[in-house]
Amino acid sequence: MMQIVIQGLLLSGLYALIAMGFTLIFSVGRVLNLAYGAYLLIGGYVYFTVSQTFGVPKPIGLLIAATVGCAVGLLKYRFLVKPLKGDHVAVEISTLILAVVLQAGVVFLYGDSSKILLPIVPGVIQVAGASVTYNLLAATIASWAILIGLYIIVRKTHIGRAMQAVSMDNKGAAISGVDPDKINMFTWGLSGTLGAIAGVFFASYTQLHPAMWVAPLIIAVAVVIVGGIGSIIGTLIVAHIIGFMEIISVALIAPELRGVFTMILIIAVLLIRPQGLFGREELQ
Amino acid sequence: MAFLELKSLNAFYGKAQALHDVSLHVKPGEIIAIVGANGAGKSTLLDSVMGMTTTTGDILMEGKSINQLSTAEIVQSGVGYAPERFNLFPYMSVRDNLLVGAYTSRESIESNLAIVHKLFPKLKERQHQETSTQSGGERQMVSLGRALMTSPRLLLVDEPTIGLAPKVCGEIAVALKRMCDELGATIVITEQNANFAMTLASRLYVLESGVVKAEGTVDELRGDARLTEAYFGA
Repeated sequence: MMQIVIQGLLLSGLYALIAMGFTLIFSVGRVLNLAYGAYLLIGGYVYFTVSQTFGVPKPIGLLIAATVGCAVGLLKYRFLVKPLKGDHVAVEISTLILAVVLQAGVVFLYGDSSKILLPIVPGVIQVAGASVTYNLLAATIASWAILIGLYIIVRKTHIGRAMQAVSMDNKGAAISGVDPDKINMFTWGLSGTLGAIAGVFFASYTQLHPAMWVAPLIIAVAVVIVGGIGSIIGTLIVAHIIGFMEIISVALIAPELRGVFTMILIIAVLLIRPQGLFGREELQ
Repeated sequence: MAFLELKSLNAFYGKAQALHDVSLHVKPGEIIAIVGANGAGKSTLLDSVMGMTTTTGDILMEGKSINQLSTAEIVQSGVGYAPERFNLFPYMSVRDNLLVGAYTSRESIESNLAIVHKLFPKLKERQHQETSTQSGGERQMVSLGRALMTSPRLLLVDEPTIGLAPKVCGEIAVALKRMCDELGATIVITEQNANFAMTLASRLYVLESGVVKAEGTVDELRGDARLTEAYFGA
């Protein structure tokens, strides 16, 4: 039982980190970024190349991966999302195509076989009889630190209030002196950064593969739909619900059903409370 | 020199033209009113000054063109705007709504907050309340307060009394007058309620279907029988 609780907590922290960048973009920019998983793909492969292939120290490798994720987010906004602004279907299709193109690029550069990403923090610790890898523990601590930092930024700083303002009323934000375009740009960069960091931890928890962007995208969509778009606290809580459901189904029911209960939960929420358990459709 | 001057302004929403060859001027420290019926183009005129429509013609502030500036840059140059629909941030507190208004004038947050709270004491009492739970009058106060937080020298106020009880309209009128007299703000209001406009403004422009049909002081416009019947009551 303790193993389930601890693994559930750790996995949920990672899921919250994965979902956060996605919820930011949907809340502020009103864009369903179907290429969000590609940030994780890029983060994982950049870290692999820099730290594992070229031997650059791991923290610097993580920093480089985050920077590349940020740059991809900014470029995607500037050259794909902004020109198509207002046409949601076009943006969604384009972002999905971009993810597929990036996957093909990764296959071209690295081949289509899986690669093992060595743990960022190697080793195992016993906690109350449960085995916990330092790597997942580090991912959880990083995840919580980032989420707390993000919460403080959104609720207590000028840029955070501006992000909330843009998510609630674009015109209201503009006449307050906030440039919605710059806030969107900032949010896309931040989302790319968070996605790339999540990708490094996710790949070290699972493995590197050109199709590794799909599973995190589904997790992100699930957390956001169930939690409700725009709620950082909601994202955190629902990441834990989904993380624990997965761990429990693997440990006590059948590993093959790992994601099934999450899907059932999504459908139930869409039918009963379409705005999600905590959502108001604006960033909070 | 006029503080704000519009010269032959045309405004468009897509292919539809909403303003036709509009020219007007506002002197420093003056309150002027633009009166007209629903759909006359009053909100479009203010949106155009804020850079939110496609325009041709000139919009000059203190003699300098602001046509090419973004809305955020126009705010930064000293124009505050309280729109008809308020455009507040419904799930943020009153205080946070005001603080968003301070985005480009962070050095004067405390002094501007003090001014807003002095003009609208209710906003201090209810600073932690979400604006989605407030009455129309209170939201109008937040909207005006947020505009004041931008440290404006020119304040644009779109239909400040629409949907409000007479008592609240009186409070808004007093606040606008104080903004002009005590803060030295130049103010442009739009109104369907011409009688309210006359209590505040030194000059009025009458807008019909995007065209300025008349302009002058209250007394001058009262002398026009057709306008008196249409806008100022018998």
